[in-house]
Amino acid sequence: MKKAKVLIISLMLMAMVLGFAQAQITGAQVMENVYNRPTGPDIQSTLTMTLTNSRGSTRVREIKQFIKQFGADEKKIMFFVAPSDVKNTSFMSWSYGDGQSDDMWIYLPALKKTKRISSSSKSDYFMGSDFTYDDLGGRHPSADTHTILREESVNGEECYVVESVSKDSDYLYSKTISWVVKGEWFGMKKEFYDEDGDFLKSLTINEHKQINGYWVIPEMEMYNEQKDHTTLMQLKDIKIGEGIKDSQFTERMMERGIR
Amino acid sequence: MKNIKKILDYSWIAILIIVVITGIFIFAMKSNIRMETDLDKYMPQKHPAFVYSNQAEELFEIKDGIIIAIENSEGIYNEGTLQKVKDLTKEIQNMEGIEKNDVTSLYTADNIVGSDFGMEVNSFYKRVPTSESKLEKLRDDVRANDMVYGRIVSLNEKVTIIRAEISDTTFTDDFYNQILNFADEYEGPETLYVAGSPIIEGTLGRLMPKDMQKMAPLVIIVIILVLLIILRSIKATVLNLLVVLLSTIWAFGLMSLLNIPVYSVSTMIPIMLIAIGVAYGIHLFSHLELYLQKNPDSDKRTAIADTLKHMWKPVLMTAVTTAVGFTSLITSEVYPVKYFGLFTAFGVMSAMIFALVLIPAGLMIIGLPKPKQFVRKKAADKDKVSFGLDTWIIKRKYLTIILSIVVIGVSLFGMSKVWINSSFLANFQKDSAIVITDRFINNNFAGTSSLNIVLEADEVDKFKDSTTLKLVDDLQNELESLEMVGDSFSLADFIKRMNKVMNEDKDEFNSIPDSQEMIAQYLLLYEMSGDPENLTSVVDYEYQTINITAQMKSDDTKTIKGAIAVVEDFRDRFNDLGIDINFAGTGYRGYVFGGLILDGQISSLILSILIVIILITIMFKNFIIGLIASVPILVTTLVNFGTMGLLNIPLGPTTALISSIAVGIGIDYAIHFIDRYKEYAAETGDKQKTAKMTMYNTGRAILFNAVVVISGFLVLLFSIFPPNRQLGALVSLNMFSSFVGTLTIMFLLLYLSNIYFKKGRSSTS
Repeated sequence: MKKAKVLIISLMLMAMVLGFAQAQITGAQVMENVYNRPTGPDIQSTLTMTLTNSRGSTRVREIKQFIKQFGADEKKIMFFVAPSDVKNTSFMSWSYGDGQSDDMWIYLPALKKTKRISSSSKSDYFMGSDFTYDDLGGRHPSADTHTILREESVNGEECYVVESVSKDSDYLYSKTISWVVKGEWFGMKKEFYDEDGDFLKSLTINEHKQINGYWVIPEMEMYNEQKDHTTLMQLKDIKIGEGIKDSQFTERMMERGIR
Repeated sequence: MKNIKKILDYSWIAILIIVVITGIFIFAMKSNIRMETDLDKYMPQKHPAFVYSNQAEELFEIKDGIIIAIENSEGIYNEGTLQKVKDLTKEIQNMEGIEKNDVTSLYTADNIVGSDFGMEVNSFYKRVPTSESKLEKLRDDVRANDMVYGRIVSLNEKVTIIRAEISDTTFTDDFYNQILNFADEYEGPETLYVAGSPIIEGTLGRLMPKDMQKMAPLVIIVIILVLLIILRSIKATVLNLLVVLLSTIWAFGLMSLLNIPVYSVSTMIPIMLIAIGVAYGIHLFSHLELYLQKNPDSDKRTAIADTLKHMWKPVLMTAVTTAVGFTSLITSEVYPVKYFGLFTAFGVMSAMIFALVLIPAGLMIIGLPKPKQFVRKKAADKDKVSFGLDTWIIKRKYLTIILSIVVIGVSLFGMSKVWINSSFLANFQKDSAIVITDRFINNNFAGTSSLNIVLEADEVDKFKDSTTLKLVDDLQNELESLEMVGDSFSLADFIKRMNKVMNEDKDEFNSIPDSQEMIAQYLLLYEMSGDPENLTSVVDYEYQTINITAQMKSDDTKTIKGAIAVVEDFRDRFNDLGIDINFAGTGYRGYVFGGLILDGQISSLILSILIVIILITIMFKNFIIGLIASVPILVTTLVNFGTMGLLNIPLGPTTALISSIAVGIGIDYAIHFIDRYKEYAAETGDKQKTAKMTMYNTGRAILFNAVVVISGFLVLLFSIFPPNRQLGALVSLNMFSSFVGTLTIMFLLLYLSNIYFKKGRSSTS
């Protein structure tokens, strides 16, 4: 009788602890999950990037891009399709899992030369857009301190709302707030605050879908409120895991261009 | 006339009314008066040049820059100096209202470098280099980059600058003091200099009114002393001063009541009112004195009544014509100048009321002034007092005419040399700290002032076109060949730098490439690897509009005009490509603004002279008199501008307005003189006598008036601000030439015209 009582209490306690642990996923774990979400061995697509400034003027660029994972490393090659005066300008980057800085090349068809370029920082903006290289997926979760603020649903998806405060006080963002879909670990929305803690910009996911079992974001929009500047990124003809040759990521391919 | 005499019966009531109205105005001033310090508020915002400039400034984020120069006589490449550059850059970036991107220094600058294997965009340093080799590398990096060498670091490597661009609203007292505090804090062993147009305007806006506050009481004290000497009566001096003081209060009181702010130009109103208002009292007292001299036993009522009887008409006429003359300034496109004209006119009319009401009423109450020693001494040498000027001039009429023509001729010659200057820096003494700093920075760098040239094409992507950019490059080369243009910067410089970097840093590639594809690809490359924000200041989103910034070593009108002339030479060639040229920036707006003030001033001067001729023709019912009466104004105006040309005093917003005095004073003198001349002519019918008596009576009052105002304003010659000194000199000069012009050439013309003497009766000359 006594033993049974102890057993029941222990079981109840265990259940409580387990249940509690289940509910108490930490902010850091959420962001780890996001960072480690598999994106497929390779992906190819056509990216249309529309930049709109405060006067409503736009610049539209169409880019054919190929990305492939090489273990912890990632290689990426992009060819400009439009506007016509930059057609076949190509860009290649190799980023390394060990934290070594990226290698980048650009090929200018008018110059007929491939050049190494370097970006001094991950917090630089990508091609005049409102995205930094970090925003496009580069920032390691360990660089920030994460806290779950609350849970709420966005467009019918249950999300964790995670606040990430930068450990480095000099970083471009003092904090970001991400809405991460529970269990799927991709973001639905993100807000960025500048060094002084003022609201800077917001990222909105307009469309998300699964291709070959991987989540992709065919359309997203970054609005920089301080500059009143918007970048719309749209992906078409997305192919995941269909295989891209290793030789696609070479200077020779950059120079050959896309036909 | 009858009504005016009633004042003598109701003097207490008249004074009470004036006191009440003055009280209301003082109350309005206390609760409502405000200074307008925002210079943009002075400019006509709807003028096409301003509309365009404002648009372009917004498009390209053109802002005025504060420049902090750090000098180390040992050279800047050492740990201490570089640490200061870093710390100070960060401090300024964190200031209220400053955007981080708007602060440029060696610490923040991008270093675009080319090498055998590629192109890199780095910073020159993040951690302050300490080792000898790292310092040396930094120096080599700077030397190799002409977007920085000579622009951020001086060629002798002893000076480096931090440039902070600020918007108009950022510049406040606190901001100004904070910047100056930084300069103090970071001093030693380096020397710090602060310059740039916001600093110049800020310093001017603070120091000039302070200088005036110091000088104005001195001017008033001297005027009081001279009035005491001339009028030899405390009562008369007090009443005279009240006329000037109250008219100023009324002018500013009405301004506050109508909720119109005080512009810097408005500070000229009291000056006009002193010069003009003092005259009314002097003429009245002069007449009163002469009357008492003739009728020593007259009681005060009769004496005052006689003065009023003879003086109300000329005082009224002078006030009306002067006021109308000033009102003509409403034709100006510049609001502060319009207000200046209107409120000076109102002040003049109030001064007239005080002269005709307050002085008689006041005298009824406090009694007649008793000029000491007057009756006894002066009666004896009556002839001396009339200075025999009338006979002297009549005898030498040809000499007088020839001399007048010579003066006019020389003045016309001088006028041809008059130059316009709307420079802010010109307001400071040559040896003042701000001028020395400005010169120091101009000697070491491209220039502290800038002109923005905005090229707008009729189609998009025009500025990716090689031919177009080559023409832009030609224009810049032409501009930079000017001595006063230190540097220029545009999209073309980016393209040239990229072309060179992408071609192994070979100098022959420091040029615009021939194909549009190449240019477009360079631009794309820049966006990908540089800071695309840098491009927003040189080109718009569609590559349809570009901004060329010319750095100049001076903000004076000559320099801006020279640069604009070079650009205008290119206008046809750009038009052929479908490109229109416009200008923008604070320097340019100042230049246009100066021009507008002058245009308005010159056209209103001409207009007011015409109005005066018409008014006087109507008042005296004689067109010839109208013409003769305009002579003092003409002479004064010509001498004023002629002297400015000969003495190399530039025409600026304030100096231009001084010529208004010519209208105010010139008319007064002419009317008083002609009116009295007419009266004596009717009285005596004798031309000689009339000449002598007018000269004695009115001539004396005119002389007194001129002496009082001239001695007062000569005090301003001791001001530390050149514009205030010029003000003093020119006001004095105008008083003097009005005085001389009236008593010599105008008198002679009036005398020779034989008006007021019937034919035959006057042939005794």
